[in-house]
Amino acid sequence: MRTVYILVVVLGVAAILVDHLSSSSSGRALSPEDFAGACAPCGAPCPSKK
Amino acid sequence: MTTATLAAPDQGAAVRIDRLFLGLALASASILIALVLLDHQPASAALIVGGFGLGVAFLKAEFSYTASWRRFLTRGEAGGLLGGLIVIAICACVVVPVAALSPNYGGAIAPLGPSLIIGAFVFAVGMQLANGCGSGTLYTVGGGSGRMLVALLFFVIGSFLGSLSLPAFLALGGIDPVLASDYLGAWGGLALTLGSIAIAGACVIAVARKRGANFMPSRRYIIGGVIIGLLCVAVFAAGGHPWSVTFAFTVWGAKAATALGFDLSHAAFWQWPGPKRALAESVLSDTSSLTDLGMLFGAMAAAAASKPFATGSWPPLKSMAAAAIGGLLMGWGARLGFGCNIGAFVGGVASGSLHGWLWFLAALPGCLVGIRLRPLFGLSRE
Repeated sequence: MRTVYILVVVLGVAAILVDHLSSSSSGRALSPEDFAGACAPCGAPCPSKK
Repeated sequence: MTTATLAAPDQGAAVRIDRLFLGLALASASILIALVLLDHQPASAALIVGGFGLGVAFLKAEFSYTASWRRFLTRGEAGGLLGGLIVIAICACVVVPVAALSPNYGGAIAPLGPSLIIGAFVFAVGMQLANGCGSGTLYTVGGGSGRMLVALLFFVIGSFLGSLSLPAFLALGGIDPVLASDYLGAWGGLALTLGSIAIAGACVIAVARKRGANFMPSRRYIIGGVIIGLLCVAVFAAGGHPWSVTFAFTVWGAKAATALGFDLSHAAFWQWPGPKRALAESVLSDTSSLTDLGMLFGAMAAAAASKPFATGSWPPLKSMAAAAIGGLLMGWGARLGFGCNIGAFVGGVASGSLHGWLWFLAALPGCLVGIRLRPLFGLSRE
């Protein structure tokens, strides 16, 4: 199990590094709730807006 | 050798430090913090540190929503549930007034409708099968449970599938979020929120008394609850919203699916501004990913600092199947139900949003179903 854990952590951190370095970043970390019209933590719109 | 034995001076008890995994956890967290600081994002670093602290606190307090709910439903024991309410009450004292008074902060809100009810119910079934909720999965994975590693993998898959299902379930109807502070103002909303938590606590104690069960939280749970509540406040201060867990899993699943060639440009969920931005940008630009990763490495550091890490054997296949099915159900249910125990229940109630209590009421019967299913997988109902 230890070997699996080492692999998961190393591959996971490597994946984060690749993703971070190859993706754009608009600055401050955001939650989907920060966007106008979001009505839930995942950014779903409000029922009244449909 | 990857472990070293240190003698504790007072009791002579052996504390075994797993240097390899302690180093791995600290190095991984440091790399993430360095990456966000290089982008001049101290708030992001604070979220990783906050998550790290939550991982340590959850692991050391053995704070478990899943087991607490199960003990309450099977034996009437209320201590764990009351410990969870302590977290919410502490968080509410800051979240309700600040979210109402400051334009830079917001509470956890969600529409009320079939999606919320179905999602919370399904999530709770999965929670009992997997033996861990969103936060529970994170800190037990961090703590060295191979079984929960499987649960997390399927949690991520289920959460991604849930993102594809959510628009159809939202189309079933619903009403806009109901927030106490919208009707009563910041302080009236806080009073109503704390009152609702007190009533819930009284109901839980009444049930425990009727069943002749213990209702006092253990000292460890009280201390853990206070520390976790304060860390929730810190995460709120750094991120601008209450702590949430499961959106990160959805993003991780979508990023993996995209890497495997899936085209999400026609998926309605991934065209909403928030998810679209989260998918396009770095995973370290998403607040829930930052706290989740911090929590994983915090729990790993805490576990490795006290004993050899992940030395147990893999559990039986049936137990692994329960973890996989439970993870899948939790992921799908969390997306439909707008979060897990943390994002929907703790965050929702602490924000004075009615959806938090509705989520709780829908999740209780789901827990009962999950508890009944546990023996099928060789798991105890207790």
